[in-house]
Amino acid sequence: MVLLSAPRWLRNRLTDRFWRVQEVLKYARHFRGRKNRCYKLAVRSVRRAFVRSTKARREKKRFLRALWVTRIEAASLEHGLKYSAFISNLLKSQVELNRKMIADLAIYEPKTFKSLAALAQRRREEGFLAALGDGKEPEGIFSRIVHHY
Amino acid sequence: VAKTSLTSPPWPEVKLPDPVEEAKYHAEVVQKVNKMIATGQYGRLFAVVHFASKQWKITSEDLIMMDNVLEAECGDRIRMEKVLLVGADDFTLIGRPLLGKNLVRVEATVIEKTESWPKINMRFRKKRNYQRKKIITNPQTVLRINTIEIFPCLS
Repeated sequence: MVLLSAPRWLRNRLTDRFWRVQEVLKYARHFRGRKNRCYKLAVRSVRRAFVRSTKARREKKRFLRALWVTRIEAASLEHGLKYSAFISNLLKSQVELNRKMIADLAIYEPKTFKSLAALAQRRREEGFLAALGDGKEPEGIFSRIVHHY
Repeated sequence: VAKTSLTSPPWPEVKLPDPVEEAKYHAEVVQKVNKMIATGQYGRLFAVVHFASKQWKITSEDLIMMDNVLEAECGDRIRMEKVLLVGADDFTLIGRPLLGKNLVRVEATVIEKTESWPKINMRFRKKRNYQRKKIITNPQTVLRINTIEIFPCLS
């Protein structure tokens, strides 16, 4: 005979509760305190950990760039240049190495970094000379010096 | 006239070396480096290459992993063209911004094309019953740099 509705003693019961709980607890095993064992506390901690890791992935880029800048500053100060002068003069001489590369070169290739610093210094001096001009008075009508005799 | 604090400008005076002498010195250095390259008196070469919108410092027998897909099959040889810097122990060639293709040759082979480890992207807003969880696996390619060669065509 065909039963049109299920009998009352048949219930849908959850059988894999253990594995659903383990899925969350496996990410909490290295936490401190009861949140590595108790599901209720672990759920909140794991959620915050995931959110923090997504936000940190965006901030890691900023953090690493600041680290490279610090390293380049320290290395260029050893050669007598400030970071601003070094970077601006390198860019003006059309050398397009990014900060990560320059920091790596400063650590592993000191001679190459020294030559880059010398290049930046030379470009800086040429810039100074170009800006200072010949030391004469500028040509102009109102700025011409009038001599009273 | 007595020297006061305002006779000379407060910044240090800058003097460039003589241009003629400098040109001679530059030509000498270029010839020396050319001879060194031609006779092969360099040890291990390193190069700074711009590839996949990132800059890499590579030597031969190096492994590189990039976070994207390359349209090349596994085992294909690739020549990297945007070389920014090449160096050895005694000399470096700095490109402004790139070095010529007839100067440097960087060869690489595609070894592996996989996906990254599953990264979890979660968004959560408190007291709003809003949370979204996404698992992201980026495609990755692994290259091995076979050789870096330089040719003596400096001028």
